[in-house]
Amino acid sequence: MSQGTVDSRRTRLKRPAKRPAKPRRGSLRTVPPAGAAGRATFVHSLRAEWIRLRTMRATLYVVVATLVAGAGLATLNGSSAGDEYAAMSAADRLMFDPLATSLKGVILAQLTLALLGGLAITSEYGSRTIVSTLTAVPRRGRVVVAKAVVLTAIALPTGMLTTLGGFLAGQSVLESSGAPYVALGDPGAWRAVLGGGLFLTLAAVLGLAAGIMIRSTTATVTTLFATTLIVPALAPSFPGTLANWTTKFWPPSAGGQIVTGYRDPDLLNPWPGFTVMGGCVVVLLTAAFLTFRRRDA
Amino acid sequence: MIEVHGLTKRYGEVLAVNDLNFSVRPGEVTGFLGPNGAGKSTTMRMILGLDAPTSGTATVGGRPVAEHPVPLKAVGALLDASAVLSSRSAYHHLLALAASNGLPRSRVDTVLEEVGLSNVARRAAGTYSLGMRQRLGIAGALLGDPPVLVLDEPLNGLDPEGIVWIRRLMRRMAAEGRAVMMSSHLMSEVELTVDRLVVVGRGRLIADTGMAEFIASVASQEVVVRTPQAVPFAGRLAAVGAAVRTTAGDGNDDGTGLVVTGLEAARIGALAAATGVELHELAPRQTSLEEAFMELTRDSVEYTTEAEAA
Repeated sequence: MSQGTVDSRRTRLKRPAKRPAKPRRGSLRTVPPAGAAGRATFVHSLRAEWIRLRTMRATLYVVVATLVAGAGLATLNGSSAGDEYAAMSAADRLMFDPLATSLKGVILAQLTLALLGGLAITSEYGSRTIVSTLTAVPRRGRVVVAKAVVLTAIALPTGMLTTLGGFLAGQSVLESSGAPYVALGDPGAWRAVLGGGLFLTLAAVLGLAAGIMIRSTTATVTTLFATTLIVPALAPSFPGTLANWTTKFWPPSAGGQIVTGYRDPDLLNPWPGFTVMGGCVVVLLTAAFLTFRRRDA
Repeated sequence: MIEVHGLTKRYGEVLAVNDLNFSVRPGEVTGFLGPNGAGKSTTMRMILGLDAPTSGTATVGGRPVAEHPVPLKAVGALLDASAVLSSRSAYHHLLALAASNGLPRSRVDTVLEEVGLSNVARRAAGTYSLGMRQRLGIAGALLGDPPVLVLDEPLNGLDPEGIVWIRRLMRRMAAEGRAVMMSSHLMSEVELTVDRLVVVGRGRLIADTGMAEFIASVASQEVVVRTPQAVPFAGRLAAVGAAVRTTAGDGNDDGTGLVVTGLEAARIGALAAATGVELHELAPRQTSLEEAFMELTRDSVEYTTEAEAA
């Protein structure tokens, strides 16, 4: 570089000695720079994808919307369920599921987090920054895995807080409205809260896999709406066996059983259902990984 | 150093790039020219490992881009200047790129200063003008201080001051021993900036040559002559075997001059002196790069209007 550049670089190097740089929130400061004999590694890609995801405007909106969906829907459902419970027949009361009532927000939260996962890659295709991303890191597998790891690092705590917040808000409203309620120590409660958080994380990764394969933001958003909300809602109106099969095995429906307390014999149990969702995400992410590596950028 | 051997890209029936061979050498600015649809961008994308060639190889510094331990230190590229996430700041755009290659944060400040965006670096890139985005794209290309630069249409959207800036930047990069490859449609700018030309048309190599040789290869050796005794002098010139026409129809010329081919300026001057003809102008006409380019790529223009084609 020019004389000027060399000079300015020298002054920049001196700076920390006089004025130690404040550690920035959210920066992985411990990563060593690639020196003259250095090599760009997976850890560098992790740091880059962390910067990209946290400087994407949608990320904050999604996290807030997910938490609000979790606690807000739990509160609304809890208070209306209290009144409904009072009017229920004895048979209906047997099927009343206070656990699932407080975790209804998971249905919306799986969509918001799936959208975040999708946007993590479709924003790159939409803005064409994928070109500079892949010029800097031509090893594409590394880019996909780094995106998935960083996405998980955001989706997992968000998912856990969403289910925990929903559970606590929902159960306290149920309690005050006189309906049955459960405490965290009751059987199945932690399974629903932690398993629900994991389910939401899987939904985010599902969104990423869909986004990688579809590339267009609009098409990805539409697909994720259909996958997480529309198909489960329409399944009962499908013809005969297809309705039964879809209701039972459609991955988001099956996975959603993780937050239920009442056992419907026509549906999968919580962990088998969760496994169906997990398996589906593994398959889709693998397909996305292979597609991304082979396709022209 | 960029080396391209037998590079071919086929999309279905269409050969977008057809058996290209050329190299971009250190210490030179190489202009990469061709009409729209000639395969320039596809070639650049294959050099950068973004698209896979159907056959052939493209290497940077002796190996494919993906095999460099720190890719941004091997090659810097500007392919699409509008490629920024509109809500992300220029600073964070560059910071993510630098981080992915383990480059220190100070490199981001350095390149922002270099391209003159330091003051607006924290603003969302969506608020930038096209010229500012070009500068941001250049900043990204310079991040790793690489020995090879690949710039696709770096002059697009720049104001005159910006064009002069980037011309000087490219000349400086070449003077520092870097290999610079740039594509552009602005022939007058290319003429001022580049040392060598690689010209493609319909995916095939048309020319790989120095700038002067390229122009000379199509130069018509015309000489413009102006004299009050135009008619008799034209007759004399024709008598010694020169072809003569008037300048009528040459741009906004008033048509009073003669255009002579087949006779050097010195011979025309000598003939005028010998016959006592008064000369007001005796000027060998320079063929511009634009004229040479149009001449050589006439057969390989993909999209043309009917009037031009006729």
